[in-house]
Amino acid sequence: MRLHRRGLVAGLAGVLLLAPTARANTPEAAAAFIESRGTALKEVLDSDTPLAEKRERMAEILREAVDVRGVAQFVLGRHWRTASEAERAEYLRLFEATLIRNLSARFGELRGLRFTVSRSQPRGEEGVLVTTMVEQPGQAPVQLDWLVSFASGRPLIVDLVAEGTSLRITQRSEYSAVIQRGGGRVGALLDAMRQQLSALEQRELAQK
Amino acid sequence: MPRSRLVAPVLGLALVVAGCATVPPESDPEARAEYFERNDPLEPLNRAVFAVNEAFDHLLFRPAAEAYRIFVPRPVRTGIGNVLDNLLVPKTAANQLLQGRADEAAASAARFIINSTLGVLGIFDVASEMGIEPRFEDFGQTLAVWAGTTNGGPYLVLPILGPSNLRDTFALPIDVAMDPWTWIGQGDQVRALRTGRTVTQAIDTREQFIEAGDALRAQSLDFYAALRSVYQQRRERDIRNEGRPQVRRFFDER
Repeated sequence: MRLHRRGLVAGLAGVLLLAPTARANTPEAAAAFIESRGTALKEVLDSDTPLAEKRERMAEILREAVDVRGVAQFVLGRHWRTASEAERAEYLRLFEATLIRNLSARFGELRGLRFTVSRSQPRGEEGVLVTTMVEQPGQAPVQLDWLVSFASGRPLIVDLVAEGTSLRITQRSEYSAVIQRGGGRVGALLDAMRQQLSALEQRELAQK
Repeated sequence: MPRSRLVAPVLGLALVVAGCATVPPESDPEARAEYFERNDPLEPLNRAVFAVNEAFDHLLFRPAAEAYRIFVPRPVRTGIGNVLDNLLVPKTAANQLLQGRADEAAASAARFIINSTLGVLGIFDVASEMGIEPRFEDFGQTLAVWAGTTNGGPYLVLPILGPSNLRDTFALPIDVAMDPWTWIGQGDQVRALRTGRTVTQAIDTREQFIEAGDALRAQSLDFYAALRSVYQQRRERDIRNEGRPQVRRFFDER
């Protein structure tokens, strides 16, 4: 009897605790989140501010909307645990920088994008998958699905699925290949990332 | 003479054995899990074929696709693409039937009849306007449905044809045999049409992949591994029919 009551109290407390997050944790909330972040990003992409400032403003939006650390950890997979403190820190720095430069090196192409949120469906524990159609002038529309997680209490993007291909899964398989071919050293991956980053910086400077 | 006849198979066998990646020991379960997820025991061999394919793509297929885009105006390309897509529909219908999806097979049959007649030999995609959206199936997908798994066995890179796996490679000749256009008609003209179709199909497919391919190559640290992962994910999605219908082709710029 006592056990029963305790269970009931615990259950009630749980419900009360969960209630506020449960309300915000809806497909509608996720869709609204993607809509607002997408609009903010589009404003930056279409603006005429100087390149460096544009990149900084975009980086701010990304840092706030994407679970950069969580994605980075997922992508490194089992090698995260074997990496040293210094390697982890360097990896996180390179991961974020690559994410940002990959976009800023293509500012020219990303101008004038149009996007519409078309659908939003719960994906169990993982969160909510928000479907958008992105159109570039003169090209066929591309379907991009955003996996939004509420695990941290606020909405954060944890994956991008382009026409059925998950970016974080593709990247994880790629990074693990680089580590494997580098003799199992995380350092080999860091070298490759540094090289890629400097190539992206060159590309960013070259575009008009 | 017998010696030289022996050399090729022995060399081939040696290459295959040397090309095998070793399975990580039981003591490292995570490395084992990664090994099985990668599903690529012939990786060194695959990478060698991949390098040759890349050279062919660089020298032949990508330039051909670019020339196609530059010299053939968009409406003509759209019409050609629609004809090619329409030719794939009978084979799709047969596979839908084999997968036990009779209603989808019926839709494909209707699609083929409408586009071949009202759509003038498939040039105009009238069926899509009427709400019958394009779907494509091949025998590799049918085998996966029969086997009840999306795992197609070891990843393989085929010469010229590119990413595949054991299941899809096995399905390939059957897929060709299932295509009615392999059997209908005879004579030099029909043979020329068949070759023309294959070549145009290759160029059309590559043309649609120009931007996506360039972006993937530019972004990846290991293009081989990236493409392997993309192939595996895409096939899984196609088998489960989770994707949206094939992207429509339009005659005008939008």
